[in-house]
Amino acid sequence: MNNLNLILAGVFSTVAASFGGLLLAGHAQLGALGRAPAEEGGPLFPALEPGLAIQGRQVYLQLGCVACHTQQVRPAGQGSDIAQGWGVRPSVARDYVLQSQVALGNRRIGPDLANYGARAKSDAEIAAHLSAPAAGSAMPAFPSLFNQGKDGSLHPNERGTALIAFLKSLRQDYSSPEAKLKQ
Amino acid sequence: MSQENQHSRPPGQGRPQGRSADTGSPRISRVDASVASPVKFFFASALLWLLVSSVLAVITAVKLHLPGFLNCCEYLTFGRLDAIQRNVFFYGWASNALIGLNLWLLASLGRFEFRNGWIATLGGLIWNLALTVGIASVLLDSQNAFELLELPRGVALAFFVAFLLAALWPAVAFVRRPTGQVFVSQWYILGASFVLPVVYLLTQLMVLWCPTNGVLQALVHSWFLQNFLLLWLGASALAAVYYFLPKELETTLTGYYLSTVGFWTLFLFAGWTGPATLLGSPVPLWIQSSGVVAAVMLLIPLTITSINFFGTLSRDSGWTRAWNNTTLRFVAFGLVAYTLAIALQIVFSARSLNALVRFTSFAAGQQQLLTYAFVSMVIFGAAYYILPRLTGAFWPSAKLVHLHFWSCALAVVGSVAGSLFFGWTQGAALAAAKPFAQTMHPQEALLSSACAVLFLIGHVAFALNAFGMLSTCSSSTEEARQA
Repeated sequence: MNNLNLILAGVFSTVAASFGGLLLAGHAQLGALGRAPAEEGGPLFPALEPGLAIQGRQVYLQLGCVACHTQQVRPAGQGSDIAQGWGVRPSVARDYVLQSQVALGNRRIGPDLANYGARAKSDAEIAAHLSAPAAGSAMPAFPSLFNQGKDGSLHPNERGTALIAFLKSLRQDYSSPEAKLKQ
Repeated sequence: MSQENQHSRPPGQGRPQGRSADTGSPRISRVDASVASPVKFFFASALLWLLVSSVLAVITAVKLHLPGFLNCCEYLTFGRLDAIQRNVFFYGWASNALIGLNLWLLASLGRFEFRNGWIATLGGLIWNLALTVGIASVLLDSQNAFELLELPRGVALAFFVAFLLAALWPAVAFVRRPTGQVFVSQWYILGASFVLPVVYLLTQLMVLWCPTNGVLQALVHSWFLQNFLLLWLGASALAAVYYFLPKELETTLTGYYLSTVGFWTLFLFAGWTGPATLLGSPVPLWIQSSGVVAAVMLLIPLTITSINFFGTLSRDSGWTRAWNNTTLRFVAFGLVAYTLAIALQIVFSARSLNALVRFTSFAAGQQQLLTYAFVSMVIFGAAYYILPRLTGAFWPSAKLVHLHFWSCALAVVGSVAGSLFFGWTQGAALAAAKPFAQTMHPQEALLSSACAVLFLIGHVAFALNAFGMLSTCSSSTEEARQA
């Protein structure tokens, strides 16, 4: 163990081993994953994001929403996400193939948002939550996403509208070849 | 503690490495004088970043139970400040301090007089500048969605170059060492210093520069995070423990012959443990299982470090002597925390347990156990040993040392215990299908706020003491450098 080259070669090998065994092998398996129809000849999923939702993703990242919210539904045997109503099926890799930067998240100070678009009833409900979250919630208000109208009511501005469009686009309620919805 | 009497040399602190300088203060050796400038720079930078991080930690902790706190403008939203606090802590405090610590350890163990230390200092300047620019960008513009990769990708190049300048030089020092004997600390430092830039570069490429497909980004990120935590932070701190423990106890390590195996098994398995933090995520099951197996295999390096450290401490009233030694009080605290952290990581890589606690504050508590209770406390202990040897001065205030230890120790015990406890109870409540809003406890946020304030107090105490010492820019350092 007195040889610098031996130590360096050894450390390089250990890094190469985990890099190859996990990352390259994972890339070999999922690197070419794309959209797929739920059944033969059906529309491709995940659906293409509307342009406003792509802008909204930038707002989501800017505000650091990923610090408190995840976007992944775990299978029933590996967590209580489905029982909590956060998704109708587990998330699969294909759900994320269109996302330029995946915001899976690591901490839930707020609920999971992977299927939020299917849960939220309307734009107005999302806007109300962003401008004035429920009392007792750890979520702060985001007044910078709103303009105040003459009657004192709040209307989402350009960034607010984009973020709402993004949140509405968060849906994982379609069948995927790997995770078919129970009928 | 042995630092009580400010006017006499504290007993049992060990002699400085190498022979004394011919002129000026006999307390600064040639080796220490050669490396003083860059190491002082890194420690001073680290301390400033630590203070910033501590203030931000108080703000973010308060925001969790008072969401309206400082919500006046969008720049101070929780998501932004949380990201900044994390980056300041890991890249500002921990990395600066460990680069400086590693530099000193390699020079001391190799008995090598550092030439051209200004190159390492230049690396440190670039590093701190890059971090400042990155943080400003997160504050005013946007951030990336991955922990410790939030900074804009352009900053990564500056970090990489800075690290080569600041940490490549220790490697050069090692190559040119006068002594042939290689001690285990040197392996850990070399390993850590080569893993970080390689892993960081590959991760930046695969996540930010040429993003890989979908969830693979999360896989790459988990690989990066575990390498960063265990093989950069953890390995560097282990190097310090392996140095200070036998030195201050004036004994040899129990089972030293096992430390080679401990080193190689840690570096072999730690890189594979990333997927153990992705259990239930949409990555292939075989990858998740590989992570679990690797996490369980960490039992081998854990057993070996336990034999080395606890075996040494249990001889000749080692625990008592450690408690009464400033450096070892922090270092012993740290190595106990390390053992607990790895043990928890092993146990909670089991799928059923992980299912309960994932995404709760339990994981945050585990991380804090490793990064603060272990790494940061070891850095503090090392600083108490090293800084006097670089400045030729003594710590100005013994009271501040006590305040520093007790404040930080109580804070981290409270914070970690609270995170683990409340995380576990939240996980159990969620598993019992309670609505999410009812599973959060306000006491948790209050406890973490109180601990954040205690951390700040402890860090201010340490900073006052350290800057007090550093600013008595002793003429003895200058004379020693001219010798």
